[in-house]
Formats: sequence, C-alpha cells, structure tokens
Amino acid sequence: MHPAKPELKELVVEASRALARLDATQLEELAFSCQALTRTRNPEDPDERTHMARQARDAVADMAVFARVLEATRANLNVMNRLRELRAVQLEYTERQARAGGGAEGGHGDH
Amino acid sequence: MGTINSALSLTTGALDADQAALSVIANNVANANTTGYIEETPDWQENQPISVGGIQVGDGVTETGATSQRDRVLEERLDQQQQLASASSARLTALNSMQALFTPDSGSSSSTAGDIGSDITGFFDSFSSLESDPTDNALREQVLSSASTLAGDISSAANSLNAQSASLDQESSGIVNQVNSLTGAIGQLNLQIQSTSPDADAGTLEDQRQQDLSQLSQLIGINQVSTENNGLSVTTTSGQLLVSEGQSFQLTTGTVHGITDFFLGGTDITSELATGGGQLGGYLTARDVDIPGALSSLDQLAYGISTSVNAQNNSGTDLDGVTGTVANPLHIFNEPATVAGSAANMSVSMTDPNQIAAAGAGSGSGDNSNAEAIAGLAGQTIVSGQTPINYYSNFVSTLGATVSEVETENTAQNASVTQLQTQSNAQSSVNLNDEAAAMSKLETSYQAASQVFTLLNTIMASALNLGEETAVS
Repeated sequence: MHPAKPELKELVVEASRALARLDATQLEELAFSCQALTRTRNPEDPDERTHMARQARDAVADMAVFARVLEATRANLNVMNRLRELRAVQLEYTERQARAGGGAEGGHGDH
Repeated sequence: MGTINSALSLTTGALDADQAALSVIANNVANANTTGYIEETPDWQENQPISVGGIQVGDGVTETGATSQRDRVLEERLDQQQQLASASSARLTALNSMQALFTPDSGSSSSTAGDIGSDITGFFDSFSSLESDPTDNALREQVLSSASTLAGDISSAANSLNAQSASLDQESSGIVNQVNSLTGAIGQLNLQIQSTSPDADAGTLEDQRQQDLSQLSQLIGINQVSTENNGLSVTTTSGQLLVSEGQSFQLTTGTVHGITDFFLGGTDITSELATGGGQLGGYLTARDVDIPGALSSLDQLAYGISTSVNAQNNSGTDLDGVTGTVANPLHIFNEPATVAGSAANMSVSMTDPNQIAAAGAGSGSGDNSNAEAIAGLAGQTIVSGQTPINYYSNFVSTLGATVSEVETENTAQNASVTQLQTQSNAQSSVNLNDEAAAMSKLETSYQAASQVFTLLNTIMASALNLGEETAVS
C-alpha cells in the first residue's frame, strides 16, 4: 500500500496552480516532494511499478497542462525581461539627458 | 533677489510641491478600489539654481504633474493573453455542451443522443434476433422500434447541434454592439488625450482607454498601434482598422447562407474574426468549425446506415412475398438524397413490419438470409470506410480529444493571465523595490517550476516504461 504518498496527478495539478499564482515557495516544496518520490521508489517491486505506471497514465493530461503553463510563463518572462531592458535603456537615456542639462537643448536645435 | 526672500520662496515652493504631491497620493488612495485605475506618481522638476553672493544655490523643486505607472508593453501582452483566454473559454463552453449531448445519461429512462452507440448495436442486434424466427411479428416490431430509436436519437442530436449553432449565432451578433460602443469610446478618448495631453501621460483618460481596450480584447482579437501625440490605432488581428485616432469604424452584420456574417467597410471579415481570438472568435470557431464538423460526422453516419440498410432490405423479400422495386421500394429509413442534412432528417418511413425483407430474393417468407445480411452490415465498412459503431466511437473520441485540448489551452492561458495581472499590479501599484521583487518572483517561480517539470517528467517516463515492462513480462 502507498498511504502517505500523494498521487502523481495531485503533484502535477498543484504545480500548475502554484505556477499560475507564482508561488515559488510551494514550487520549491513540490520539487522536494518529487526528489523524495524519486529516492523512495523501489523499481524492483512489481506492485509499485504497476502502481506508478497507473499514476503516470492518470497524470498525463495534467502534465500537458503543466507544460503549457510553463511555456506561457517562459513567454511572460521573456516579455518582462525585454521590458526591463527597455526601461534600463530609457533610464540611461534620461540620466544622460539630465547630465547634459541645458546644453543638451542647444545641441538638439533645428539641425 | 534678496537672500531671505529667496529662502522663503524656496520653502514655499517646496511646500507647494509637497502639497501637490500629497494631492496625487490622496487621489491614489481615493481610487484604490476603482477598476482600471493606475496609480499616479508625482513628477518633480528641479528649479533653476539661484546665485547668492556668487555661489549657486539650489532653488528647490516644483511638482509638474503626475504620471500613471502604466506600461503599454505589459498591458498589450495582458490584452493579448486575455483575448486568447476569452476565445478558448467561449469555445470550451460550446464544446462542453456538445460533448454533454453525446454522453449517455444513465439516470434517464428515455433514449437520448448520448445513447447513439448502443442504439446502433441495438438496431443491428434486432436483425440478429429476427434471424431466429423471421415470421415472428413481435421480433419484426422490435426491428422497427429499434430503428425508430436510432433515427430519433441521431436526428435529435443534429437538431440540438443546429439549435446550439443558432444560439451561438445570436450571441455573436450581440457582441457587435458592444464592440462598436467600445471602439467609438476609444476614438473619443483618443481625441481628448491628443488635445489635452499630447506629450505626457493623460492619467485618468488613459486609464479609461486602457480599460476599454481590455474589454474590447476580451470580445475580439485586436492589435494596438501607438500613434503621434499619445494617440492609438486599433485593428483586428488580421489588420482591419477599427479605430484610427479619433475615428472609429463600425462592425456590421448580415445574413449569408442562413448565418450571421460580420463586415467591416463592406468586407466580410467573419473568418478573420473567428481566428482572431476574444469571445467572438471562440463563438465563431464553435459555430463555423466545431458544430459543422460534428454535424457532418452525424450526416455521414445517418447516410451510411440509411442507404445501406435500405438497399439491403430492398433486395430481399418481405413477409408478403414482395421484393422492392424502384417505384415501390422497401425502405426502412427515409432515403436521404444527399449526405448533408441526412442526420436531421433521419426517420423511419416503414410503418408495416411485414415489409421487413428478412428473406432473400425469391425465397419463401421463412427464409432469414436477408435478415442475416442486414445484421452483418454492423461489421461492414458502410460509413466512410468504417463500421457504423467504429465510426461513431471515433467521432466521440475525437470530440473528447478536442475538448481536452481546448481545456488545456484555456487552463494555460488563464494561468498566464493571472501571472501577468500579478506583474501588472506590481508595476502599477507599488514602488520600484516591490516591482523588482515581483520580477524576481516570476523568475524564481519559473526556475522552480522548470525543476519540478523535469523531475516529474523523469518520474513519469520511467514509471510508464516500467509499467510497460510489467505488462509484457
């Protein structure tokens, strides 16, 4: 029997939820759970092999959801990183203008 | 300028600036719960320094206005994700209704569209039963009864799909008024923003415009293009202009082949709107792709069964010794003229059970060879190269797979919207430190999730492989 271990499906669903909420703490805990699951598995036990195979099949659809959420997060992260770069450039430009002071205005005349 | 006067002026200026800044903050607090309001921060400008005894002394600051902490890039990304999520959500609702139609209702005593699979089996089984005693009237009645149940459930499913299509058509038309109202409002706001605040953030006006854009992107797929003087053009995702600065272009509707089509400036853009996203995109995809696809499958099923069974019955001899002719065919089902519409029109045309041609051509009424042949049609590829029951099973499985796929998309898109809203709130509502913390949270969450994904993927791959080995051994 496997009374204490959470079902693989539950882990996958919770991972998708935690990622949607950007709950990094929960995701780190889930990573520990997965590591523990890997350590405590006994691939020689035929009962456990069958049990894990059943759990894996049950979790396939939710794993696809998790993969898509992860993909969307990567796209969002790319957007945010790009945004940060744009802001850094903008900030640098503003600072440079401020340092140039009134002289900058003359420099940008009607040429 | 005297030193004391300068000092007083500097202090007064600073107090005025503080007062103005306090007003901005007070406005933020007052609007904390206002939907779409973006927090404003006061803008400060250093005054020209004054010269006191040849020494340059700072002359304080002046509050020059307020800037909303908005970010167009993030807002556009959020709008794009929202329009995808709205589209998949609307489509998913329609698909779930379709799937419910083909799900057996164990609690119902009457036969429904969900029972089509068992109806097909029941119909062909009734011929197998008739083989045992081809002259038995009760068995003959049973054949007509099971034919009637099958035809009734198939035509009922087709009619329900047509009704669902009509309902989606109506919902889609209703969205047009909302779209036109929003594009009109965005055009007006563009004019106001361009006239009052061409070079700076227009505060509340931009909040209103952003809120309208957000609502619009939930209804249809849009692209936004910034123009001069804080203006904005809005197009559909395929590039048709909806708003150009102060001018808005109205969507209109018209009936084409019995359904509502959508026009912009005389051009039919229905298919572009269907693929563009938003609620309208979801409704149109369900109306123009998913429902016609399901109807077409049902038509094929109804056509294949009706024509094959009719042809086989027509080739046999009925209980009265009659064989079907072109002029007086022995048809069990209403013979369909074309595939299209076969499902909705499927019905049992035979009323006399004696007309069931259980006997082979030229055989006596006690013969059962034709009943056997009709029962055998269940195992023949009479529906688009498949047996009737396999065809129907594949149809239901394909529908289930589509529902599952759209559900996955929708869950992921909603998760993405939630993430972006968290980022957007961090950008527009709190200070730079919190903003950096929010960004870091996104990065950390992504990294942790990637690790979880890799671990889960390894566990699952290994578990599935081990499971296969177990099954083989």
